[in-house]
Amino acid sequence: MSSKREKMCLLVGTRKGSFVFTSGRNRKEWKVSGPHLKGHEVYHMAYDRRNGHILASMISNHWGPTIARSKDMGSEWKESKSPPKFPKSSGLSVARLWQIRPGSDDEPGVVYAGVEPACLFKSTDGGESWRVNEALMNHRTRKKWTPGGGGLCLHTILSNPRRPRRMHIAISSVGTLRTDDDGASWKFQNKDVLADFYPNKYPEFGQCVHKLASTPSRPDLIYHQNHCGVYRSDDAGENWVDIRNNLPSRFGFPVAADANDPKRAYVAPLEGDFSRIPPGGRFAVWGTDNSGKEWFQLDDGIPAVSYYTVLREGMVSDEEDPCGLYFGTTTGQLFASRNQGQNWAKVADGLPPILSVSVSSA
Amino acid sequence: MIRVLVTGQLKDLTAGAREVDVDFANDLDGVVQKLELAFPGIGRKIVDDQGRIRRYVNIFVNSENSRTLAGEKTRVKDGDVVHILPSVAGG
Repeated sequence: MSSKREKMCLLVGTRKGSFVFTSGRNRKEWKVSGPHLKGHEVYHMAYDRRNGHILASMISNHWGPTIARSKDMGSEWKESKSPPKFPKSSGLSVARLWQIRPGSDDEPGVVYAGVEPACLFKSTDGGESWRVNEALMNHRTRKKWTPGGGGLCLHTILSNPRRPRRMHIAISSVGTLRTDDDGASWKFQNKDVLADFYPNKYPEFGQCVHKLASTPSRPDLIYHQNHCGVYRSDDAGENWVDIRNNLPSRFGFPVAADANDPKRAYVAPLEGDFSRIPPGGRFAVWGTDNSGKEWFQLDDGIPAVSYYTVLREGMVSDEEDPCGLYFGTTTGQLFASRNQGQNWAKVADGLPPILSVSVSSA
Repeated sequence: MIRVLVTGQLKDLTAGAREVDVDFANDLDGVVQKLELAFPGIGRKIVDDQGRIRRYVNIFVNSENSRTLAGEKTRVKDGDVVHILPSVAGG
């Protein structure tokens, strides 16, 4: 692979296959290919910068969940020989594959996958075969874990380039966990995170984390969209600060961080748990440039009437400067901003319901 | 010999063959295991991690749906015909 990355690729997973959008680094014009992986719900895709492969986690309603890889930007796909599978002794069976995440540059071939029922799998051969994380599978509290509305899913994997043995994961509705020993043990990190659907509002675990976001340059700074609030941690999840402040709602699903400015983050509020529509019927991304002390609405270019639903994996930021933002809706619109959300342009419309959006230079 | 008829995406795993033979198995669980040995990857399309027939897959033994028999433990014998079909879903 050339170290000079001249393209951007925007990977869109939908309920009816996937689409690959590519552009120059200026992110002005996007070309699309697809649908790929027809007949599959594509929950997440990732571009692996180490080898130029695209990884996809997906499910066929008939033939079950699996992982596919493409070496040529989506033209041809090959399924894993041995996708994530629980040992028979566990009594568990993989129902869905959620996030798929390539490992760091110094561990070639390592790929992680989060699954439902919640667990983590690791591949050391680029996604061909997978091994369950036994510490998580056998966690002392596992029998008490309960699913959120989206199922008992491990939906977020945050690796830490500065501390390779550290990783954060997020499970709905169990909360955030961290390992500092490469997955040999996991510690809950839900201090001061509200779970007001329990009699004990601040339990050790059971928090309904919807999404976490960090950046490679500041991996210990984590933004957190929860069912019951928006939080920030400056110390790798040891402590969480409520940063809802002037947001129109504490509720939403996606959250994105700005790779160039740690004080910038982005969320997409919904009215609330029992009315999951954008406030006032207008979808907007809300951004902060001071670590969540204040938030401002970023909706220039988004229709005034936009009852969009953007799922937890449906909004991402790139690592360009200025930061680009992207969101895809369950009604098939794909929007992009090249300037931290100040203006939005529609990249595509009429796609199948969008489950996930991911972006990378390539 | 047990004759197994496959369709849909499963044919991609049997090199396009719609009919394959399994020399011996006591039950459908054994049939799936023999298929997996012959055509790696086919088993997980038919059954889940615990060996249970997937929700939207039907296996018929001599035209009887195994769900009305004993599921993956349905007995099979020499001369039986096993159909593995995606179920109708929706509509």
